[in-house]
Amino acid sequence: MSAQGNGAVRFDGAADNRRSGGVSKETINAIVVFALSIVLILGSRFVSPALGSWSQVLTVLTLASFLIVVSFGQGLVVMIGGLDLSIPAVITLGGVLTAGWVGAGNAGAWYLLPAILALCGLVGAFNGFGVTVLRIPPFIMTMATSIILASAALGYTSGTPRGASPEALTVLMKTSWLGVPAVVFFVVLFVLAGWALQSRTVFGRRLYAVGANPDAARVAGVSVGAASTLAYVASAVCAGFVGMMLVGYANGATLRMGDSYMLPSIAAVVIGGSSILGGSGSFVGTVGGAILLTTLGTVIAAIGLEQGWRTVIEGGIIVAALFFLREELFARLRRPGRS
Amino acid sequence: MVGELADALVVEGIAKAYGATVALERVDLSLRAGEVHALLGENGAGKSTLVKILSGVVRPDAGRMTLAGAAFAPHALLDSRAAGVATAFQELSLLPNLTVAENLMMPRMPRGALGLASARATRAAARDILARYGLSRIDAAEKVGALALAERQRLEIVRAMEHASKVLVLDEPTAALAEVEWLFGLVRRVTARGVAVLYISHRLAEVRALCARATVLRNGRSIATVDLSGASDADIFEMMVGRRVRGERAVRARPAADAPAVIALDRLSGGSLREVSLTLGKGEVLGIAALEGQGQRDLFRILAGLARPSGGTIRIDGAATSLRNPRAALKAGGGLAYVPEERKTEGILSSLTAAGNITLPVAGRIARGGLIWKGLEQGAARRVSGHVDLAERYLGFPVGDLSGGNQQKALLARTLLTGARTLLLFDPTRGVDVGTKQSIYAAIRRFADDGGSVLFYSSELPEVIDLADRCLVLYGGRVFAEFAGDELEEHRLVGALVGHAAGPGKEGADAARGAAR
Repeated sequence: MSAQGNGAVRFDGAADNRRSGGVSKETINAIVVFALSIVLILGSRFVSPALGSWSQVLTVLTLASFLIVVSFGQGLVVMIGGLDLSIPAVITLGGVLTAGWVGAGNAGAWYLLPAILALCGLVGAFNGFGVTVLRIPPFIMTMATSIILASAALGYTSGTPRGASPEALTVLMKTSWLGVPAVVFFVVLFVLAGWALQSRTVFGRRLYAVGANPDAARVAGVSVGAASTLAYVASAVCAGFVGMMLVGYANGATLRMGDSYMLPSIAAVVIGGSSILGGSGSFVGTVGGAILLTTLGTVIAAIGLEQGWRTVIEGGIIVAALFFLREELFARLRRPGRS
Repeated sequence: MVGELADALVVEGIAKAYGATVALERVDLSLRAGEVHALLGENGAGKSTLVKILSGVVRPDAGRMTLAGAAFAPHALLDSRAAGVATAFQELSLLPNLTVAENLMMPRMPRGALGLASARATRAAARDILARYGLSRIDAAEKVGALALAERQRLEIVRAMEHASKVLVLDEPTAALAEVEWLFGLVRRVTARGVAVLYISHRLAEVRALCARATVLRNGRSIATVDLSGASDADIFEMMVGRRVRGERAVRARPAADAPAVIALDRLSGGSLREVSLTLGKGEVLGIAALEGQGQRDLFRILAGLARPSGGTIRIDGAATSLRNPRAALKAGGGLAYVPEERKTEGILSSLTAAGNITLPVAGRIARGGLIWKGLEQGAARRVSGHVDLAERYLGFPVGDLSGGNQQKALLARTLLTGARTLLLFDPTRGVDVGTKQSIYAAIRRFADDGGSVLFYSSELPEVIDLADRCLVLYGGRVFAEFAGDELEEHRLVGALVGHAAGPGKEGADAARGAAR
């Protein structure tokens, strides 16, 4: 029952007792998604005794860290009513360049890693330019970028990416501190910063405005083109960074390393309560969505099916999750009584 | 033959709540066949909800409806239409990407060979309908989105009239129409064939001209059904808002004639605007009066930075300026802030709170350490909400949940908070209730008293006369006449609106009055 359910009230002045600041749709959504994840982890003991343990929780969080970071970028783009389908290609770009340019050791990492991220940002700027200036629909523009990048990566690597993980990334992905993987600490900080950026900064506020109604945002003095382009840049930088994290985790790059993040990145955002049409949502919900999807993935993996079947089931579960966890259903939860 | 006193539609004890928000508490209403019945009430009184219930868009929680003696409980728009109840909505329900003909004929398009929808038969049938309603000038093959707002509204009305065999609901049908005779003629035609008309309008003069009885809604209840001939305007306002409303013109010191010009336009052209020159002085309230489509929209859109002029110069605070976008307009000179015509599409950001909407243009200024805290945002919004009589408790609500009047107050508050010294207001009281109008007038006057300048357009002449220090009449894209001080009289403006020489005799004014309302 929401804090607003204080009896019958109406629109006009004196008789209006409605309260603001009750439990928001986003909060309820995030709580439900997190709760589902916990239930799933506890319940997974029935599938296999190895599951449901503390170490499995840490494994899930480590695996979820990749999805959390890409979904943050995807969430910003979805927020403005766009869609970034170039994320897998940019992950691969970040990964291939990190392994190829820096390689094992730490030589030059301090300037090469930022340079690689900047290059990924340029890819995002290209997406933003196509969408805002050339007015190409986002899914076509980002898909085209994706194809261009994939082809370039294939040519650059002659099909076989070389190199290994820089030491800094290995430290991030492979060491633990007080029994908790370093990357989990990193992700906690990332989530705090991402939440603040999306929900508390001027930039985030402008993205909400653009997504809610670009014409009205323009009248209100928001530079719609610049704000939208920055969202694509942020998305590409996040994807590039996930490429680096994957290199640290797997100690190398492959040409298909980003492929499995396309649908999950969108699904995590939508399951987390954002409208796919833009203008609503919070990063905390998206994080819940990412953790829930990753938990599902590990449970399915534990059942021991072949990779092909696992992918089929994952796809089916994502569709089901999108159907059941849409924001309209949460909106209904908030309305006691009549419907 | 339908008896004069037969009840076409009876509504009893209708109630509707959205979650914890009660939109309608208890509404009783009966429409007689062949009558035009007015529905009056402030914004938020529940008129729109009642319209939605009658047209089958939403279903009531309680109560019942009887249509020509039979139970009436429509589950969808097409249900009520099939039963002979058709609605012309305030928020037009036409599909902008389809043609006029397709909009008129949907969902049953004439079929051609092979059973496919025939574009030619559709157009022919639509042309036939348009001709019957005196709208032959509208091209049936044109996309609806390309039509002027007034033409779209006429189309919405025509479509409803085509389907209304028992009851016709007209929700603010004249909001975008500068002349009403066309509508009045058609309304008389449908009532002559026994259709009951529920007429919703904020313009009492129109209501008196057309309706015999009115039902007043307040706070989701039907307060009373009155005979309009026996009720004064003040009585009706009191029933609507629960208090008396003053309507006289506030006395305001005229700004000095030699006040510096904040806006000076020299032979500005663009869209349908033709070489308009005007100046807006510091502290002045300048009204623009015009019939629909005389270039006023282009004038405001150019000044707001939303359209480019094709010729002429714009000086803001003495400096030649090109207003490239709304951001540039906000920064030009002392700043130009715009309240747009269409609240829903260009004004509000419905998923943000009222406070978020109000503070959006100044978000960068109110942030501390790069972050916007709720307290800062509410505090900034509170600084201006009082100026427009926007209750503080609304600031935390999603603005889309507020009534139209409160949304408009929020938009006005937003322009005040930008600190801009010039306001551009396009029909600032369109579709808002009497109480909100008074609040908006007060805010505008106070802004001008504090040295701000206001350029506003209004589709209602009394508003121009009450509010403006000076008024320009646009006709055919040009400044046709100018009135100031005591010359600001309705009969003079009416003549100029339709292109009669400035200051026509009484006869000319009377002839033109109908067309200019």
